[in-house]
Amino acid sequence: MSRCAYVSVCAVVLGCFPVGASRAGDPAKPMGEVEGLIAAADPGGTVVVPPGVYEGNLRITQPVILDGQGHAVLDGVGVGTVVEIRAPGVTVRGFTVRGTGENITVEPAAIRAIAGPVVIEDNTIEDALFGIDLRESPGSMVRNNLVHGKDLDPGRRGDGIRLWWSHGCVIEDNTVYGSRDLVFWYSENLRISRNRVSDSRYGLHFMYSHDTVLSGNDLARNSVGVYLMYSNRITLDGNTMRNNRGASGYGIGLKDCDDIVVANNALLANRVGVYLDNSPSSVGSTGLFESNTVVFNEIGLLATPITHDNVFTANILVENEEPAAAHGRGELTHNTFARDGVGNFWSDYAGFDRDGDGIGDLAYEPRSLFGAMLAREPNLRLFVHSPAQQAVEFTARALPELRPQATLVDPAPLVRPPNLKGSGAATTPLRTRAMAFGGLGLLLFAGATVGVFGRQAALGPAPRGDDR
Amino acid sequence: MTTINALAGERALPQARSFSGGTLAFARREFRDAVASRWFLLYTLAFTVLAVAVSFMSLSSVGTHGFAGFGRTTAGLLNLVMLIVPLMALTAGAGCIAGERERGTLLYLLAQPVSRTQVLLGKYVGLAAALVCSLCVGFGVSACVLAWRTGSVGFGAYAMLVCFTALLAMAMLSIGVLISVLSRRSSVATGVALFVWLTLVFLSDLGLMAGTLIFQLRVQEVFGLAILNPLQAFKMGVIVNMNASLDVLGPVGAYASQAFGDGLAFMLAATMLVWALVPLLAAVVLFARRGSA
Amino acid sequence: MIEAEGITKSFGRVEAVRDVSFTQPAGSAVALWGSNGAGKTTLIRCLLGVMRCRGSARIGGVDVRSRGRQARALVGYVPQELAFHDDVRLGSAILFFGGLRRVDGARVSASLASVGLAGHERKRVRDLSGGMKQRLALAIALLADPPLIVLDEPTSNLDAAGRGEVVQTLRMLKDAGKTLLFASHRPDEVITLADRVLVLERGAVERDTTAAELWPTEKPVQVIRLHLSMASEAHAARVLREAGHAVHLNGQGLCVAVPRDQKAAPIHTLACSQIQVRDIEMLDDVDIPEGTP
Repeated sequence: MSRCAYVSVCAVVLGCFPVGASRAGDPAKPMGEVEGLIAAADPGGTVVVPPGVYEGNLRITQPVILDGQGHAVLDGVGVGTVVEIRAPGVTVRGFTVRGTGENITVEPAAIRAIAGPVVIEDNTIEDALFGIDLRESPGSMVRNNLVHGKDLDPGRRGDGIRLWWSHGCVIEDNTVYGSRDLVFWYSENLRISRNRVSDSRYGLHFMYSHDTVLSGNDLARNSVGVYLMYSNRITLDGNTMRNNRGASGYGIGLKDCDDIVVANNALLANRVGVYLDNSPSSVGSTGLFESNTVVFNEIGLLATPITHDNVFTANILVENEEPAAAHGRGELTHNTFARDGVGNFWSDYAGFDRDGDGIGDLAYEPRSLFGAMLAREPNLRLFVHSPAQQAVEFTARALPELRPQATLVDPAPLVRPPNLKGSGAATTPLRTRAMAFGGLGLLLFAGATVGVFGRQAALGPAPRGDDR
Repeated sequence: MTTINALAGERALPQARSFSGGTLAFARREFRDAVASRWFLLYTLAFTVLAVAVSFMSLSSVGTHGFAGFGRTTAGLLNLVMLIVPLMALTAGAGCIAGERERGTLLYLLAQPVSRTQVLLGKYVGLAAALVCSLCVGFGVSACVLAWRTGSVGFGAYAMLVCFTALLAMAMLSIGVLISVLSRRSSVATGVALFVWLTLVFLSDLGLMAGTLIFQLRVQEVFGLAILNPLQAFKMGVIVNMNASLDVLGPVGAYASQAFGDGLAFMLAATMLVWALVPLLAAVVLFARRGSA
Repeated sequence: MIEAEGITKSFGRVEAVRDVSFTQPAGSAVALWGSNGAGKTTLIRCLLGVMRCRGSARIGGVDVRSRGRQARALVGYVPQELAFHDDVRLGSAILFFGGLRRVDGARVSASLASVGLAGHERKRVRDLSGGMKQRLALAIALLADPPLIVLDEPTSNLDAAGRGEVVQTLRMLKDAGKTLLFASHRPDEVITLADRVLVLERGAVERDTTAAELWPTEKPVQVIRLHLSMASEAHAARVLREAGHAVHLNGQGLCVAVPRDQKAAPIHTLACSQIQVRDIEMLDDVDIPEGTP
């Protein structure tokens, strides 16, 4: 028995450590080989690293284009930062980088730059506490990398991509999953496009980072999709935030951010579509929300009580359990829900459009008693989707004195959803067919049960008349 | 008349049919009667029309964009099921023994070589089969409509909805049968069934809401009390199967998902199974106590 | 065939059947005689195990309480009036009961034919005349060719012709060796069929006797039924008994057996005591079978 256990422990130990080496079939090479190649190259020249696993930590101190061509593996073997770029003008391309340390106090990263600009592209990063970390590395480009964090508790993970005082960077087409955040500290004028972040904490997280455009990013199953804090003049355009359902679970969260533009985004099945915490906070600044699609969230739009001066126009809010709500007893009436006579489409709007101009004749003023109760006692959310909830709302409708104040007023609600620009996967025909077959199957089953179970044994032939 | 002599000749003594055989005979008769009855057709029609209407309504708003998620579509269907199915099953169950007793047909049935347990179980099985049939028609038509209009619900989740609904129907039927056994008159049985329906659908939830507000109940308390109601168990079960997590139900749901994890769906299904079995068992025992086996 | 011991059944404080014990050998015919409310029907239900009671009953040696199904398999039961779902067709009704007794279709058809109902399979139960319903009940009772037939006032809802048919059928069954236990209101039936009469009064067996003893007949007798006001019935019975008439009070007037040539005598006797007779009914000719004590 104990011998058996000993053998299996050995197997596990062996299986854990020199993974790459045994897989490649070749013995691992020391990182010094790569350092040697760099030292031999001209400054700014291209170094192609031959296929193989290189173990150790790499310091790059001169401009170089380092190309792994997809077959070179840089393995830190669980110690510290794997690649550290200490000079501007470095490109790291086509590597698999893995095996950082785990001590979060020293923040070990797969690739760290402390000078800029640098280019980090087409790399695969796995088993890394921090993925790509740019510290004071302005003008850099991080493109088309795949980052997978260590399989740790979310609280002990590091960030997938982090920028620190790095202005003017481009972060695009990266895929990050199982990490903590994609976080941007004190970095301005960024372009963040078409990144995919999933199963992490904050999909995109801004701290004190201004004047940036985020477009076409896909943030799924994170705790929060995009969380902007103390960051101004940011545009979110055409991003998709779906199934972000952590403890706070915001599709987009804004805390003390001025002059934000949120347009053409799709916010699907998050706990809260858009969360506004005192944004905008400065006098004279505004927030603009235009043409976003907010669907299947528990709360479409949630705001702290004092939130004001946001403009909402041409948004589509469909099938959110609560379209809009304010924390506590607050209300959203200090925000504007129509611009130039164009309001938003609310799927629970019950008014009419007599003149056919596409604008409802009655203002949209949601007054949900159940919503008001929810604001007081969140535990009551257990009772949503039940007839009892309908009963509460019905009672409130029947007894106007029970009706709470309207949480918001949209004076020009749209009666038809405007054309969507947000993304949304079309239903596959396969699923449709399964549904059709399923439906027919159920009907057949019902018929067969009636046929078999309800079969009436006949006794003799049916008589032609009653004359017998 | 002359054949009687021939019939009454010497032969082996007649035997009672096997337990399951007799039960099945009752089940089939009950099923046939139910399927041919007006209430059954009416309920089936109402359920089908409403289910299709809900599917249509929900599809007309987002169907063309094909977003998936747990929205008001499913919620609407869920609400509908939670209103109609218990009503249907409770009243059907309430009528099954009390009605026969009132018409005087029960004693004649019991004078046959059957046991009371067989009569009751047979009726239960027959009615349950009829209810499942009715649900299959409603859900089937609705699924066809969803398919035709490119549905946004996966069929697996939909099938689970049907299964859970069938379980709900059986639980409610079982309560209805118990009411029927306890009531002397069928009007009383129907009245009690309606009251129980009202209680399960509205009053208990409203009471629990008030309790939560007044006593500031903790999440585990709210969850524990809510799960006692088979309708809540049904709702949570459906949501768990569609969403893999109960977090749409706020802190209480999140607590449940965290505390019970993957076992939650089984736990909810088991709760409903208990609701299906215990009242039925009680009905069998009470009914059998009034006569011999 | 029947062994009853200490059968007692109370509804609340009222004892409907009090400590009834009797043994009925196979092949015999026993009549239960008594006024309405004397406990005939309750006793029959207890014997069949349809109702729970104290004491013990065995049918063909099978205990009714513990093995009711097997015991009832030996019994064909005919109620006062067949109570069955009204809109069921005759054919499917009898097939259902056949299904409970493991009887095949051919046998069902034969049974229907034996009571003259062949060809009526498509009729609904509600469209049957009283006589046809009772014949259907008989057909159902005879389906499995049981050795014991229990009848609860099988003719009380029938006209003279219907009664005649039923009595004739029973007579044939008796001749074929069946055991009969029946409750009746009619002396003529009792005299024709019963070897033995149990007179029930307030739930207890008052007399265990024969028809001949109940209605002594040296001369040919005619049984007449006198209809009086309810209040005077008991008084009238006493007066008639004092005048030497055989009287029986059974809830549907006063039955008096009188010599054929003195049919007016009881009316005269009553008139002398200022008791008014509302109506007189000649009961069918009583045919006392030869060899019956």
